Amino acid sequence: MLNPRFRPALATALFVLIAIALVAGAIRFTAPNYAGVRAGRMDAGYLESNDCRKCHEGNYATWHLTFHRTMTREANPETVLGDFDRQNTLTYQGVRTEMIRKNGSYWMKFTGVDGKSQELAIDHTVGSRRIQQYLTKNGDQWVRLPIAYDLVQHRWMHLNGSFFYPDDSDYRQHVTEWNSNCVFCHNVKAQPHLNWEDRTWNTEVAELGIACGACHGPAGQHAQLALSPMTRYLWHVKAAGAPSVAVTNPAKLDSDRSAMVCGHCHGQRLPEPRERIRSMMSDGDPFDPGKNLLEFYRPVQREDKIGPVSFASRFWSDGSPRLTAYEYQGMTRSACYRAGKPGQRITCISCHEMHGGDPRGQLTEKMKTNAACTQCHQQFATPAQLVEHTKHQAESSGSLCYNCHMPSIVYGVMSAHRTHDITIPRPEETVRFDKPNACNLCHLDWSVNRAIAESQRLWPIAFRESAKGDSRFDEPEGTRALFAADAVTRTLTAAAMTPANESTAPLLLEAMQDRYPIVRYFTANALAAGYPALPKPDYLAEAEKRNATLRTWYPFFEPERLRAAKTARERLSANRVEVDVEVGE
Amino acid sequence: MADGKSNVQAGFEPGQLRRMTCQGWISLAGWIVFGLLIEGLIGFRAPALMDDPVRREMFRLAHAHGTLLNLVLIAAAICARLGLIRLGRSTALGLRTAVIILPAGFLLAGLWHFKDDPGVAIFLVPLGALLLLATAFRIGLSGCSG
Repeated sequence: MLNPRFRPALATALFVLIAIALVAGAIRFTAPNYAGVRAGRMDAGYLESNDCRKCHEGNYATWHLTFHRTMTREANPETVLGDFDRQNTLTYQGVRTEMIRKNGSYWMKFTGVDGKSQELAIDHTVGSRRIQQYLTKNGDQWVRLPIAYDLVQHRWMHLNGSFFYPDDSDYRQHVTEWNSNCVFCHNVKAQPHLNWEDRTWNTEVAELGIACGACHGPAGQHAQLALSPMTRYLWHVKAAGAPSVAVTNPAKLDSDRSAMVCGHCHGQRLPEPRERIRSMMSDGDPFDPGKNLLEFYRPVQREDKIGPVSFASRFWSDGSPRLTAYEYQGMTRSACYRAGKPGQRITCISCHEMHGGDPRGQLTEKMKTNAACTQCHQQFATPAQLVEHTKHQAESSGSLCYNCHMPSIVYGVMSAHRTHDITIPRPEETVRFDKPNACNLCHLDWSVNRAIAESQRLWPIAFRESAKGDSRFDEPEGTRALFAADAVTRTLTAAAMTPANESTAPLLLEAMQDRYPIVRYFTANALAAGYPALPKPDYLAEAEKRNATLRTWYPFFEPERLRAAKTARERLSANRVEVDVEVGE
Repeated sequence: MADGKSNVQAGFEPGQLRRMTCQGWISLAGWIVFGLLIEGLIGFRAPALMDDPVRREMFRLAHAHGTLLNLVLIAAAICARLGLIRLGRSTALGLRTAVIILPAGFLLAGLWHFKDDPGVAIFLVPLGALLLLATAFRIGLSGCSG
């Protein structure tokens, strides 16, 4: 018989054990099965951001602020940013488009020149920062509509106004299929699921938009392990023998693998081998963050072709990218990258911050300054050292490292962007490669030959072998580039002239005659930024309407300057060679 | 109503009940001060609290548990004094320990913590909770058997 003295203690112990068992049972019964998420699929183990949020609230919050998150969304009143109520029509090439909201759903009604109409429902939105594009569903296919909303200028636009094609381009040129294109980089772990036999699609993604999985890969195993507090604390204290964390953290990868996480999308690529395209379309994207990107893809370079289609026009003739989504190619060309030790050299997150900073560029305030470069180049850290190096005043734009070593010579999504091909600014590159140079992007009134001469005077050793160009390069470079160069350079030059002033405005007024709407877009913005009181020309309007607006501008400028600008345009554009550029964002 | 004799018979002296009551009131005062501190930090938008969700959660729990459990401790001492329950020496010690380590676990786990998890002091919480559970059950049993 048990001693009665011990009965209460025994009963208590039993009660506590039963309580522990109940709690443990409840925890076990309600435990999620993260490890088995999407088992058997190509995106096995990929969690949704809400799953990650349960532990990583801070990281979720910073990601939630980004434009990555809102890249692809289902269309609803919260996500549709275009004006469907007031300024809701656009007529382009004679086709009138009316944007309609009906009971919380969104539609575009296209009325052609023949008077026939077609209404298409908007199913998804793409983009939320500069432009918002719209997808309609056509059976099992999602199709990008040709009309988008410019979130910066607050107006509707035709996508011909975003790409490098002239006014008379096909109206439907940019009506493209989402399932085989955009899906790969605007979502997590795309699986087009194309049935090659009957050409049907069953497209799926792990999550719409660019969410946790896009950079951290499959985290099911990690989340499963992390359910145990003991495991988590073993991780926290970095205990020997703790189980693997089982998830990719780009900040802990070697620098090259880390860059590949971003390069997967910020570096247009071709399947390697090319035949892999079949399995990509049927099964999905084989890359997971942390893997070697080059095992699956080869970053597109200037010399690449797919059949007759060349990628050359997406690069300057020295091979440096001139479009966005080629940042990986740019960075890996840089001396900063090439001079470094593999795995321990510059990578995207050397400057960019994915969980903090300004979502517009994912840069902290510190990394917007020379601090980004002086992380390594300490020899230019003090104002005196900086002035000695740049020959510009310490606080001037000429002493901001980015302006000379990463000038804005890249186009993407209605904006001029800094190149990620970090180089020494050499004005002679304009002569050799027809590529804008950092000096003349500020000194627009200088000729390239003058910039070469000045660089030789200021840095005689570095530029002693620079060769001047022929007489074409005696022209002020702003004028030459705005009229004689191809559409990408003309666009970037108009961007560099923003805001217009009394010497550039006459040139820009002439540039409004450009056949390429994208050139006129930047031109009109430059004019409006410099002269906000004057009516802004509509870059997509018919020539007659545009000219009517421009006529209201002419009285404000010296007739002599206007005449000189017109002569310059006619003279310089007469022999230029146009190169249309397909932009793949 | 029973007098304090039953507790004396159970090996628990009135002096110990006083100490228990004192612990309850002094700790309660301490947790009220802590509550004021939290209010002040929130009121003046102190980044050390506002920008740290783990710390906010832990401090909130520490304050709630600290105040409530010390009220329980005082109530237990009063019940024992009135003879409504019997408090053995080990039960009382368990209760007094639990009301210290449980909220202290939250407090310390909020002071020093990992990025997305409370600090290791959080392990004091389940320990304190089990102790509290055991003492609550023992006190309950003693009340029923009396």
